[in-house]
Amino acid sequence: MAEKRRNKGAAATVMRLWKTVGRQRIRLVIVAVSVIFYTVLSVAAPVYSAGIVDLLWREIRGALENGTGFRVTWEHGGREIMILFGIYTATGVLYTFQSFLMASFAERLSLELRTQISRKLDRLPLSFFDNHKTGEVLSRATNDLDKMSEVLQTGLLKLFTAVGMVVGSLLMMFRFHIGLTVVFLVFTLLSIFSTKLFAAKTLRYAALRQQAVSRVTGQVEEAYSGRTVIRAFNREEKSAEEMRDAVKELADTSRKADFMMNMVNPFIRLVNRLGQAVIAVFAGKLLLDGVLTVGTFQAFFQYVYQASEPLTEAAYMINSLQSSIASVERIFELLDEKEILPDTADPAGGTENAEGRVEFRNVRFGYTPERILMKDISFTAEPGQKIAIVGSTGAGKTTLINLLMRFYEVNGGQITLDGVPTDCLTYRGLRSNFGMVLQDTWLFEGTIAENIAYGRPDASREEIIAAAKAARADFFIRTLPKGYDTVLEGDADNISAGQRQLLTIARVMLCNPAVLILDEATSSVDTRTEMEIGKAMNALMKNRTSFVIAHRLSTIVDADLILVMQNGDIIEKGDHKELLRAKGAYAELYNSQFA
Amino acid sequence: MKLILQFLKPYRRLCLFNILAMLLDVAGGLLVPRLTADMINIGVESGSLDYMIGKGIAMLAVTVLSGAGALIGSWLCADLSAKIGQDMRNAVYEKSLTFSEHDFEQFGTGSMITRTLNDINIVQQSVVWCIQMVLPVPAVCVMGVGLAFAIDRVMGVLLIAVTVLIIVLAVLVTRKASVIFERLQRLLDRMNVVLRENLTGVRVIRAFNKEKDEEKRMRKTFEDYAETAVSANLLFAGLESTAFFVINICIVAILWIGGDRIGAGFMEIGDITALTEYSIMILFYIIMAQMVIILLPRARVCIGRIREVLEKEPEILDGEDSIRSPMKPAVEAAVFRDVTFRFPDADENALTDLNFICRKGETTAVIGGTGSGKSTIAKLLLRFHDVTEGSIFVGGADVRNIAQNELRSRISYVPQKAWLFSGTIADNLCYGNENASEREMRRILSVAQADFVSSLANGLDAHVAQGGTNYSGGQKQRLCIARALMKKADLYIFDDSFSALDFKTDAALRKALKEEVADAAVLIIAQRINTILNADQILVLDEGRIVGIGRHEELIENCPVYREIARSQMKGGGEVG
Repeated sequence: MAEKRRNKGAAATVMRLWKTVGRQRIRLVIVAVSVIFYTVLSVAAPVYSAGIVDLLWREIRGALENGTGFRVTWEHGGREIMILFGIYTATGVLYTFQSFLMASFAERLSLELRTQISRKLDRLPLSFFDNHKTGEVLSRATNDLDKMSEVLQTGLLKLFTAVGMVVGSLLMMFRFHIGLTVVFLVFTLLSIFSTKLFAAKTLRYAALRQQAVSRVTGQVEEAYSGRTVIRAFNREEKSAEEMRDAVKELADTSRKADFMMNMVNPFIRLVNRLGQAVIAVFAGKLLLDGVLTVGTFQAFFQYVYQASEPLTEAAYMINSLQSSIASVERIFELLDEKEILPDTADPAGGTENAEGRVEFRNVRFGYTPERILMKDISFTAEPGQKIAIVGSTGAGKTTLINLLMRFYEVNGGQITLDGVPTDCLTYRGLRSNFGMVLQDTWLFEGTIAENIAYGRPDASREEIIAAAKAARADFFIRTLPKGYDTVLEGDADNISAGQRQLLTIARVMLCNPAVLILDEATSSVDTRTEMEIGKAMNALMKNRTSFVIAHRLSTIVDADLILVMQNGDIIEKGDHKELLRAKGAYAELYNSQFA
Repeated sequence: MKLILQFLKPYRRLCLFNILAMLLDVAGGLLVPRLTADMINIGVESGSLDYMIGKGIAMLAVTVLSGAGALIGSWLCADLSAKIGQDMRNAVYEKSLTFSEHDFEQFGTGSMITRTLNDINIVQQSVVWCIQMVLPVPAVCVMGVGLAFAIDRVMGVLLIAVTVLIIVLAVLVTRKASVIFERLQRLLDRMNVVLRENLTGVRVIRAFNKEKDEEKRMRKTFEDYAETAVSANLLFAGLESTAFFVINICIVAILWIGGDRIGAGFMEIGDITALTEYSIMILFYIIMAQMVIILLPRARVCIGRIREVLEKEPEILDGEDSIRSPMKPAVEAAVFRDVTFRFPDADENALTDLNFICRKGETTAVIGGTGSGKSTIAKLLLRFHDVTEGSIFVGGADVRNIAQNELRSRISYVPQKAWLFSGTIADNLCYGNENASEREMRRILSVAQADFVSSLANGLDAHVAQGGTNYSGGQKQRLCIARALMKKADLYIFDDSFSALDFKTDAALRKALKEEVADAAVLIIAQRINTILNADQILVLDEGRIVGIGRHEELIENCPVYREIARSQMKGGGEVG
């Protein structure tokens, strides 16, 4: 039952893939036709060459009996040889033709799917990114598609030809001699069967090796990350010993796993060759008895090669086909994920240069509708005000910002910018009014200058440097070997977390937005640098609405409005003095700093 | 390449056996068609059945022998690959331990991990490929051609011609393919980077309205990749087709010329089978080798990266005369004299003209902004870096004249990043003192305000995840402090080690600390004024220079930078008080 359903799923996937193939379908049809001819010719060639060998042999024997010499001429065998050459050339041309046609087929298909994925990424709601690991999504777009294209590239062609080849060759072999064919089949089954046995064992050893790999990986990561401690405590020898231990275990398990993998092919070859030796003896006897001719003897062996390769590869091919269907399924799954609401059909205009009045009116929200986090949030930020949001981890501070930026849709109530509900604006129209500095300091692989100019690629070098100066990042950038042209690389620790944060601040400085959002923006910067940035920010915040989430209360004492959040709701609001007088949660939090 | 040979050297015998096994395998493969041909010849000349069966038995024997050769070869190859992998990993890791901070940073943690794991994997894989797929090629060619010559001179020449043709073809394709493959690998990496950036940076991208630009950027990398992949495919399709064609011409030539030679009595009809088989085998081995050779440039890059690590001269070495030095029991635990430090590739000094003394029984504090060079002071003391100018004395001797182990045994250090090793809490404490008793551990934990350990289910044997991620920031810091206190030293360095502690714990810890290390010198690097209020001397650092030195009251009086820091942290405090 389950099996049946799975097959149905696989069929649906294949159908959908077929649709995606689109215009390339014609190409596939042409290839299929070409393959048919190719297979027929390939099966026919050995029979024909058998005829030639027999012909040559007859002529030679005749010539020897007559005592005259023999030379191949056009009349004596030459014509037949050239026809064989013609057959070979035809198969060769067909082969070339279909491989060239297929060379771009699979890659185009993956490109199409990859493009669909990249478009999809823009339309996925943020909750998708929260719930899926980066590596998981990444591997769909790269590994899964590569696997698919590899299988389609070579596998499809092989599969097409293999079926025809095996059937055709077996037919010919049966025609030559049934007994010999049965011997061949017995040995082929033997090698398929033993491959299966090996596969199970190989899997077990591979699992053991994987364990050892994880151990070494863990050990190496740990040792390199903690090397300062190892060296400060003079633990080098001890640590090297632990490493040797883990590495030895890895060597021991890989030796076994590698052996199993290395030996599969030689073993299959051994079984096949044993089969061929047995066939040779039988066939030799038949030759002696005159049942087989020289030509058929040779042809039989050619068919043995043609049929045994696809047969022994069958198990592998079926596996890889199945796994590639699974890969394609995963990709379609991604493409079918729920999307964000499309931009409103008639966006309200006039928000290019917003004044920056933000209002939350009875906002209700939960990451899932069943678990409402915010029940009823209302507050107003007047243009130019500084709004601080305070609360413990998980209180909903970041959520508030996410809603403001419309990263998530509210479940009830309304958020307005300059009186216009945010869902009446385009995403672009809304977000172009905001500049945000986030907790995680995302920078891309490119130069420092490019990163600062991310929001305004047209900015001049002077503007970039000015922004960096304003964000107090100029000093450290100049100490880097290549200054502003230093390339930030993915895993390079060439700049610290604090410095990364300064760059993200410079990035926003350059954009000059109407509303600023600082989400614990200065958490990796020390207090004095924070104060300096604060000064620059204060200048920037003038005449701008700003939202600040900070865990250091010292930075927000001058806020116009402080929202104290707990479990998703605002439990207190007011300015610093009012809240201290109220002696509530805020006062307690503030005083605990100086305990 | 030299590097590989160097690692293969200890296993010369193993390599030799590997080659022998391979030869056995190849020879067997070539003898089977020879025997088949013999059987045909017997068959058509109506020879005896016994003779035929004899050949059949010989064929079985050859098959089994060559199969055994192949199987033994598989084992030897796996063994060799495991051994050199093991040796390389150990060598790389042991080398890494001699690197200074700067040496190591030049590679970066991520890259070092890749070098130790993946790069060596690829090298191992390539060694296996070379032995199994590339080395047999010359053997097959030579033996195949030799056997052809044994049949007939003309046929031998024909086979040489075919072999040369295929080799030329393969070399041409390989040249072109390795360029394409290198490009393909680079584009694949690029595709991964761009995709990853898009996944992790989704909020920023949307906030900056860059969706369309990013889509273009992704599409560009996808297209580049697809285009290169297609050209690689085309190249291979071309190679396969041509090779296919060459072999067909060869078979036809064998029939035509062979027919003549048989007619002239130089060879027999069965030999045609043998010759056809030889040429197919030669072609097969060359094409297989070629597939592998294309992948070798990648291995060469990996080898290069491994060699960079192994051949790097550590910046800091114990001097010739690392005098088991006269470390005097001086009151000055550490002295900085005119110390200037600049990172090797930077334009500006990180530290300039530092002069100060850490005395035993006293607490010295360092305060300053991010990037002011605070942590560098600690790293210079531990000799993770060497000074650019001036000198640092520990225990009366210049740190450059003391063996590094000796130096570090005098200093106990709590790093800025609270890092714990996987294992148990006791394991981590043992870093400070291997033979510590449980009582001692408990005592120190209580000094470090880490009594929470006794409330854990397994107490001292409680599990610690890699990096200590299963403990909060404050807990980790306290455990790191405890680890440092386990070690008896002349100088204790706390590099921003109290930042994650709440104010109450911070105060209690400092009080307990004072009693615990009363005789030693203490160096505290901090960002919070509260932490260093009572230090015997405070150094105020700004852009790498000391701009103030003295006690809290003095500095408040006459150091503007210090005053500013103080104000930034005390702001609004007046109203509470």
